[in-house]
Amino acid sequence: MRPDEARRWPALVAATLLVAPLAVLPVRALADVWRAPAVLPQEWGTRAVAYVASGNAGTLRALGLSVVVGVLTTVLALVLGWPVARGAARRGARGYAVVATFVALPLLVPEFATGTGLAAWFLRLGLADTVVGLVLAHLVYVFPYVVLILAPGFRAELTDLEEAAAALGAGPWQRLWHVSIPTLRSYVATATLLGFIVSLSQYGTSLAVGGGRPTLPLLLVPFVQTDPQIAAALGVVFLVPAIVALALAARAGRQPV
Amino acid sequence: MSLRRLLPLVPAVLVVGVLFGGAVVGALRTSLQPAAAGLLGDVSLDAWRAVLTDRAFRDALLFTSAVTVAATAVSAALAVALAGALLRSGTAARALAGLPVLVPHLVVAVVAVLWLGPGGLADRLLGTLPFEIVRDPWGLGIVAVYVYKETPFLLLLVLTAWDADVVDRQEAAAVHGADRWARLRHVVWPAIRVPLTVGSLIAAAFTFGSFEVPLVIGPTYPPTLAVLALQETQRSLLGGQARAAAILLVAAGVSLLLALLAGREVRRATR
Repeated sequence: MRPDEARRWPALVAATLLVAPLAVLPVRALADVWRAPAVLPQEWGTRAVAYVASGNAGTLRALGLSVVVGVLTTVLALVLGWPVARGAARRGARGYAVVATFVALPLLVPEFATGTGLAAWFLRLGLADTVVGLVLAHLVYVFPYVVLILAPGFRAELTDLEEAAAALGAGPWQRLWHVSIPTLRSYVATATLLGFIVSLSQYGTSLAVGGGRPTLPLLLVPFVQTDPQIAAALGVVFLVPAIVALALAARAGRQPV
Repeated sequence: MSLRRLLPLVPAVLVVGVLFGGAVVGALRTSLQPAAAGLLGDVSLDAWRAVLTDRAFRDALLFTSAVTVAATAVSAALAVALAGALLRSGTAARALAGLPVLVPHLVVAVVAVLWLGPGGLADRLLGTLPFEIVRDPWGLGIVAVYVYKETPFLLLLVLTAWDADVVDRQEAAAVHGADRWARLRHVVWPAIRVPLTVGSLIAAAFTFGSFEVPLVIGPTYPPTLAVLALQETQRSLLGGQARAAAILLVAAGVSLLLALLAGREVRRATR
């Protein structure tokens, strides 16, 4: 073993200790019979997968609602967050700090508190238990992440590129589509994935403004006690975007940007 | 400042000012109108009085604070220890270590129940666990979930500050005979103190609002503040909403106070 490799071992062990516990989710999801004290399941099977896919207990509806709300919220956050991130990044260190702090403010307040406050208005406006209500409530938490992830991408090099494109006669939309977005693609990809994950995991806001139309997390909680196998199967769904994000991050880390 | 420069910030004002600000006003309004009559009903402090004199509220406040302090302290210590181990590692190990940041709290709580609950994997591998972690009165399950979630977040902050420059100075100090602890205290600590403190305060603000995690893995009593608020809404339709809003405003106030402290740390460091 070279000294270089020896130094890598503790890192890999530490990283594995953080990641390995998650493996219990797919194992539990596919364990039809797993009586204590056996360390491995007695019988593998697809009972939980079949149950989730059958749409019983509203699993498919909740999954669909979560995905629709997640996509809509993320797109809205990207559209609204783009000019803010751009404006904040070009404001100097002090100006950036002010904008970033203002934008990040909601992240520090408990989701259930924000949701309960919004529900007070949404009930009057007819937005309670609607997709629009859920998207607006999730936006409060997705928007800050999107802005804070996009902002570091707007560097001086991008301004130069945009000015060069303008000098060559490109209009604002052409510059956005052909210059800015491609240059920031790794930032946009990270912001999109993280925004989607944040929306997908919203519990307090969803319960407060949309308790009558359960999203995936709301549906999952009771299963932890009544049927852990189904809770595990639903939990696996949450891991998918996280693993995609990780793969993208690892790829971006290898590429010289 | 010109309008042209302010225009791009309008969406931020819409989301944070109107939506989030509206939520705070909505919660305040609900807490002041226990009867919930009309748009301009009578203002009353009944809900606040009921909450602040309630024993359950005091227990929940203490419990939430204890869980927050324990989870944050353990996460910070672990983050520094892990940063030392990951210092020279490549991007793959760092990306893996960052994975828990992307896994929702709720899913981590489910994983914790499957591992640490009665009859869970830890029980099966080690025989019976010496103490209960899931639904225990001390909230150890909640602490475990937040340690798993917040450690990687703090780790990434510490790793960013513990850069090659600091490593060079550590080596220089070693040449001059400084032992491991002296190097950690006089070279590494000054470099990582601010990001670690600020990150810890932010992590604490997060933990203070914990809701779905205690629902899955916490004890029936005491609840965290957010869970107590949910119990109030379920207990009575009339007045329950107002008391819940008051409780949540206290929780939000503490979280914002922690954030304020973080902001002050940053300002002091950059001055």
